[in-house]
Amino acid sequence: MNPPFWKKFFGPGLIGSLSATPFLLLMLFGFVAPLLCVVWFGLMPPKTFELLQAPTLENYRTIFEQTYFKSILWSLALAVATVIILLIICYPLAFAIAKIFRGGGYFITYAIVTSLFVSENIRLFGWVIGFMKNGVVGGTLAKYFDIQIDSLLYNIPVIILGMVYVYLPFMLFPLVLGIKMIPDPVREAAFDMGANRWQVFRKIDLPLSMPGVMIGSLLVFVLSIGAISEAKILGGQKVVTIASDIETEFTYAQNWPLGSALSTVFIALTMVVVFLTLSRFDLEKLLGKKSS
Amino acid sequence: MQTSSINRRNFNKFLGAAAAGLVLPSRAFASSERAKELNILCWEGYNSDNVLNPFREMHKGIELKAESGTDDPSMINKLRAGEINVWDLINLNQCWAREQMWPEKLIKPISKERFMPYIEKMMPMFYTKEKGVNRFALSPDGTELIGMMQRFGPMNFVVNTKKISKALAEDEGLPMFLDPKMKGKFGLLAWDNWNVLHMCVASGFTPYKVHTPEEIETFKKTAQTLFTNANMIASDPAQLNQALINGEIDAIFSGGTYTCSVARAEGFNEVLHISPLKGPMDGKGSIQWFEVTSVVNNPKVSPLAEDFLEYVQKPDICHTVAMAEASHNPVSQMSQPAVFAKFSKEELNCFQWDTLEEDMNRSADYETIPDNDVLTAIYNEAKRSRG
Repeated sequence: MNPPFWKKFFGPGLIGSLSATPFLLLMLFGFVAPLLCVVWFGLMPPKTFELLQAPTLENYRTIFEQTYFKSILWSLALAVATVIILLIICYPLAFAIAKIFRGGGYFITYAIVTSLFVSENIRLFGWVIGFMKNGVVGGTLAKYFDIQIDSLLYNIPVIILGMVYVYLPFMLFPLVLGIKMIPDPVREAAFDMGANRWQVFRKIDLPLSMPGVMIGSLLVFVLSIGAISEAKILGGQKVVTIASDIETEFTYAQNWPLGSALSTVFIALTMVVVFLTLSRFDLEKLLGKKSS
Repeated sequence: MQTSSINRRNFNKFLGAAAAGLVLPSRAFASSERAKELNILCWEGYNSDNVLNPFREMHKGIELKAESGTDDPSMINKLRAGEINVWDLINLNQCWAREQMWPEKLIKPISKERFMPYIEKMMPMFYTKEKGVNRFALSPDGTELIGMMQRFGPMNFVVNTKKISKALAEDEGLPMFLDPKMKGKFGLLAWDNWNVLHMCVASGFTPYKVHTPEEIETFKKTAQTLFTNANMIASDPAQLNQALINGEIDAIFSGGTYTCSVARAEGFNEVLHISPLKGPMDGKGSIQWFEVTSVVNNPKVSPLAEDFLEYVQKPDICHTVAMAEASHNPVSQMSQPAVFAKFSKEELNCFQWDTLEEDMNRSADYETIPDNDVLTAIYNEAKRSRG
């Protein structure tokens, strides 16, 4: 029997579409429209503030003629280093929180979440006080051990340290959730069948926690590739990141079209890296929602 | 000429209004009457409660909001992006009002009748009977008063006098930083506009002209040398002052009484701003700034905007504005005994009052650079290439 006529219009499909409308409107006006605006502004003549002019590729020519690639490479390198270091640091901690500490894990979770209540810049300036010449570290070493050290600031390792510190929660919590998805009986079965710790990690833990690894890595990558404060505050602008270049074009240089073109290149590059990574890992499959 | 009714400014007007809706009390927008509302976009100091609260007391029920900016171009960008409907007063360094905001109709004239009596009592660099009002407070044709001048100071470089003597620094000027002996011994305060000006002076030519290819090449070498040889680069003066005090660096490229006054107020008198004796700007090697506070060309500008401009002329408020938390600066009203009496000996010392007149006389005005886009691109290229 055919469904009643009205169901075609007022059925679950319509209700679903109506429910999705607020989100679609939000995405349209809050995400798509500004993004298109940035892309279009990147095609306007340099040093202008008008949106309706003949489009030009002048800004992209400037980007490829100058050394903006250095900033892009630095941002990429710093982001990749941050992701790798955080994976190494956070995986054991996440495993402990998810599988070993149980109740104690909540304490660590709250302690780390609390750090997010303090602004990033204030936390970074805390590191400056610690690492500057005769600061907390240098002063303590000089006073109690008679060891004189120079400033530990204004170099690339300290920039990475700052990024690792700031983005740690964004790697840790997805990893905890990913590791919690590993069923204990599967691990126990593997041990019962003679697997050693390394084999259990490689064959059971890592594959089954891969959704957490993937989500944490993508989150940290996307956040840290746009990082600006660590290189400025801790690094003494030892390197200039692409986000810093974009900020300069929109402010001091008063060149909004070039800033927009740089933003477009930056967004496109981030999307390519993220989609390439996602294409190598099927999240649906990893989450067990799709059979191989 | 505007070729279309839809442009970025128009497009952003509703975004600005939307942002304002989030930031400002809805009451203000529910009513067309803005008699009890005032929004100020300013450098730090004017946004302090010490400055704002007495004004709130004078105008019971007022919604007074002051937001501090971090650089002049960003603050102008806010107006360009549609926030002209939001702000009533804007406080920037001298050249921006006359050279950018006035031609773009972002600000409007203020009442000469009301404010000339105050200007006539200001220090001679702001008004004399012979020369009249300082040109930066006037429209380019000289007919309109476009703002009130208050804080000022020279801005060149800062040294630790325990390492570099004042006499040597004044004599050598900004080219001192190009000496290979200075490698690793100075920090660079990354305030791009000022850096570009000072790099021109260090290169031996005035910033205020369109530069020849040879000069552009020299500028490039100067920028590369300075970025390569700098021990550290920071956009926070406090961070550089700290490094200067603890011996990490001996000098700061781009700095003024504005940037080092807080360190001096804490007793570090070895932190000293230098105004060079000579240079390429009609013989001057030093640059000075002063702030001009203008009324925004807001279609519904608050009637309290000019009241606030008049209010900050009061001796107590002049002193509060001068001794802001993040920087201490002289004010144009210090020629009046009632204002000068507010400052202690230590406060005068922190902005180097004893040599200030001499320093200002050695200084050229802070102005926009005709080929700033070319020089800024080279500057940024040198900064990027540092790593």
